[in-house]
Amino acid sequence: MNPSGGPAVAAAEFSSGISAADRRPLVALAGPPNSGKSTLFNALTGLRQRVANYPGVTVERRSGFAELPSGSVEVTDLPGIHGLSPRSPDQSVARDVLLGRLEGGRVPDAVVLVLDVTRLSPHLMIAEPVLELGLPTLVVLTMADEMDKGDGALRVRALSRDLGVEVALVDARSSAALEPVRRFLEALCTGGEEVRACPVAAVAKSAADSPQGRTLPVIDLFAARRERARALSRSAGFLAPRPSRVTQRLDALFLHRIAGPLVFLAVVVFVFQAIFAWAVPLMDGAEAVIAASGRYVAGLLPEGWFRSLLIDGVWAGVGSVVVFLPQILILFFFIAVLEDSGYMARAAVIADRLMHRIGLQGESFLPLLSAYACAVPAVMAARTVENERDRLATIFIAPFMTCSARLPVYALLIAAFVPAEPLLGPFLGLRSAVLFGLYGLGLVAAFGTAAILKGTLLKSRPAPFVMELPPYRRPTVRSIATRLLDRAKIFLRRAGKIILSVAVVLWILTQVPRSAEGGPPDIGDSALGWMGHVIEPAIEPLGFDWRIGIGLVTSLAAREVIVGTLGTIYGVESQDDTSFELQAALQRDLDLGEAVGLLVFFVFALQCMSTVAVMRRETGGWRWPVLQFGYMLVLAYAGAWAANALL
Amino acid sequence: MSGTGGVARKGIDRMLADVPLEEEVVLVRIDLVGEDLEPLLERGIVPGCRVCPVRHAPAGSPTVYRVDGALVALRRETASCLCVRSALEAAGLLDPN
Repeated sequence: MNPSGGPAVAAAEFSSGISAADRRPLVALAGPPNSGKSTLFNALTGLRQRVANYPGVTVERRSGFAELPSGSVEVTDLPGIHGLSPRSPDQSVARDVLLGRLEGGRVPDAVVLVLDVTRLSPHLMIAEPVLELGLPTLVVLTMADEMDKGDGALRVRALSRDLGVEVALVDARSSAALEPVRRFLEALCTGGEEVRACPVAAVAKSAADSPQGRTLPVIDLFAARRERARALSRSAGFLAPRPSRVTQRLDALFLHRIAGPLVFLAVVVFVFQAIFAWAVPLMDGAEAVIAASGRYVAGLLPEGWFRSLLIDGVWAGVGSVVVFLPQILILFFFIAVLEDSGYMARAAVIADRLMHRIGLQGESFLPLLSAYACAVPAVMAARTVENERDRLATIFIAPFMTCSARLPVYALLIAAFVPAEPLLGPFLGLRSAVLFGLYGLGLVAAFGTAAILKGTLLKSRPAPFVMELPPYRRPTVRSIATRLLDRAKIFLRRAGKIILSVAVVLWILTQVPRSAEGGPPDIGDSALGWMGHVIEPAIEPLGFDWRIGIGLVTSLAAREVIVGTLGTIYGVESQDDTSFELQAALQRDLDLGEAVGLLVFFVFALQCMSTVAVMRRETGGWRWPVLQFGYMLVLAYAGAWAANALL
Repeated sequence: MSGTGGVARKGIDRMLADVPLEEEVVLVRIDLVGEDLEPLLERGIVPGCRVCPVRHAPAGSPTVYRVDGALVALRRETASCLCVRSALEAAGLLDPN
């Protein structure tokens, strides 16, 4: 950035080795969150994009190819940043990519810096360290529509002259927005003169972001940077647009003392209802399709172990992966709409007081709520929590929320052991009260765990809660569709593999050793049955025998599987949780303390490989899921033991 | 790194958390250090900037402030670390523009 605000010195023409035919130029899209960066990225790359994690961190790497007349350019969408100091994983990654420490050691051939023109001065502060890198840069100022509406003004040429790089003012959502970017990329491909390196000589070498340079207090560096940014804005005749009326009016409603929490509650109930109830027909439909296609394929194959492997192992495994998709897609649809419209930030402000009490932030509310439907989409949704420690804490406590897969287990055991008696007249029955108590127990465990985590492993001084409230905007179909597609791909590729493998391994365990006739053994004689016997001594203090042991092992595939397994073991034909035969069998085998112990075990234990798989993906390693599994197992064991001892 | 950046004057200066809604003030000093400081600085909340509380969250905290054309929510604890001066009084002491 030019400190004097005067004309920049002649820019060095861009020339580099990118003309090598075997290498496509790499362009980094950088900028703060909510600046329209991802909208531009999606428009540039279309569906030719990939999402993965950067190695060793949980920051997502989105990259794709922009096709141009003279070739294609690799575009990488950096995480949204407020600066280049490595204070958060997002900013470290952005910084490392720009410095050529990631992306296979390649320094980007150019940078497209996307800034919100309505916030020109603060965003020019963000621009300064990026421009100082001296890479060929195009500054794209978005929100041109807001400038027009609010009678803002800016002399783009003057700003371009002062910054020494090309500047374009666009509405990121219009198709015309792509033109200057494509022109810039085209020039990059052909090595044209239009692409100039940022004139480093004219740049004030700010030391704020280089560790060696921390001689001045950081606050003074930023104050100086702010002055330079304001000088640039002034010199370019910048007049900020009037604040949006729509935003003011909507905030008056959404943050109103009474109406605000009511709207919040309505939104929350709506999302909850959608993932809890409306997803069910889709999930049933997906299961029915998998089952029907399985039957069809089974009909084509001769009977034998191969057919069983394919249908009972692989097909069923695929089914247990696909069944999560409707909930994931519905939840992410709402998250995308809420985030893109600007409401999510308001919801976080409303929920912040409550979440602050357990050491978390307002952003954790929606992931935790959605965990009541299923922890798998909830863990993925924790990505909306910006602070890394709070995000991990959110992921860690999400599986304590009573997910829908626990309900069949609760329903079976409550029906078998809790009499259908009224507790508070017609208002509350004993069974409902017990169910409510189980939900409450999970919540207490979650909040207690959050408090413990934030006091130990994830200890951090309470970070200042600084949340920007973007103006309200209409979400675009394209942005929502891209996000849904991203989540579906990530889930199927990463978690899907693990879930499928577990399903196949569990199938194998029921198939060996073969019976005397060469067929599959009875479940009690199978390797799985053997595992049940092996863990029996460990679960004996809880009052569980090998049969429950097998159920606990199979329920790792999904909690509700224990119902079917117990049905098989007890030789009950109808294997659902309303089966009176199964209830009677359990009543014979378990006393009240043991039954409550089993319920408590399911409240606490992480009996869900899908959650473990998705945690591994979202935390970037096995450390957290293993710790989580162990911690929840210990809690479950202790809880079940206590229930046994007390009742 | 220290939380300086301006000279506080007794009697004139208040904490941002105590400023009533719709009163525009100028930030004088930030009583935070290191990691806590940077998220504020990066968003342009720097001594000399104008801040105006616009709305409290229904629970009373956080409060939404208008800073440099953007809306930023800060918790009461954070706003209690930001020392401010009324924009009118600051006009002679600092140059907010």
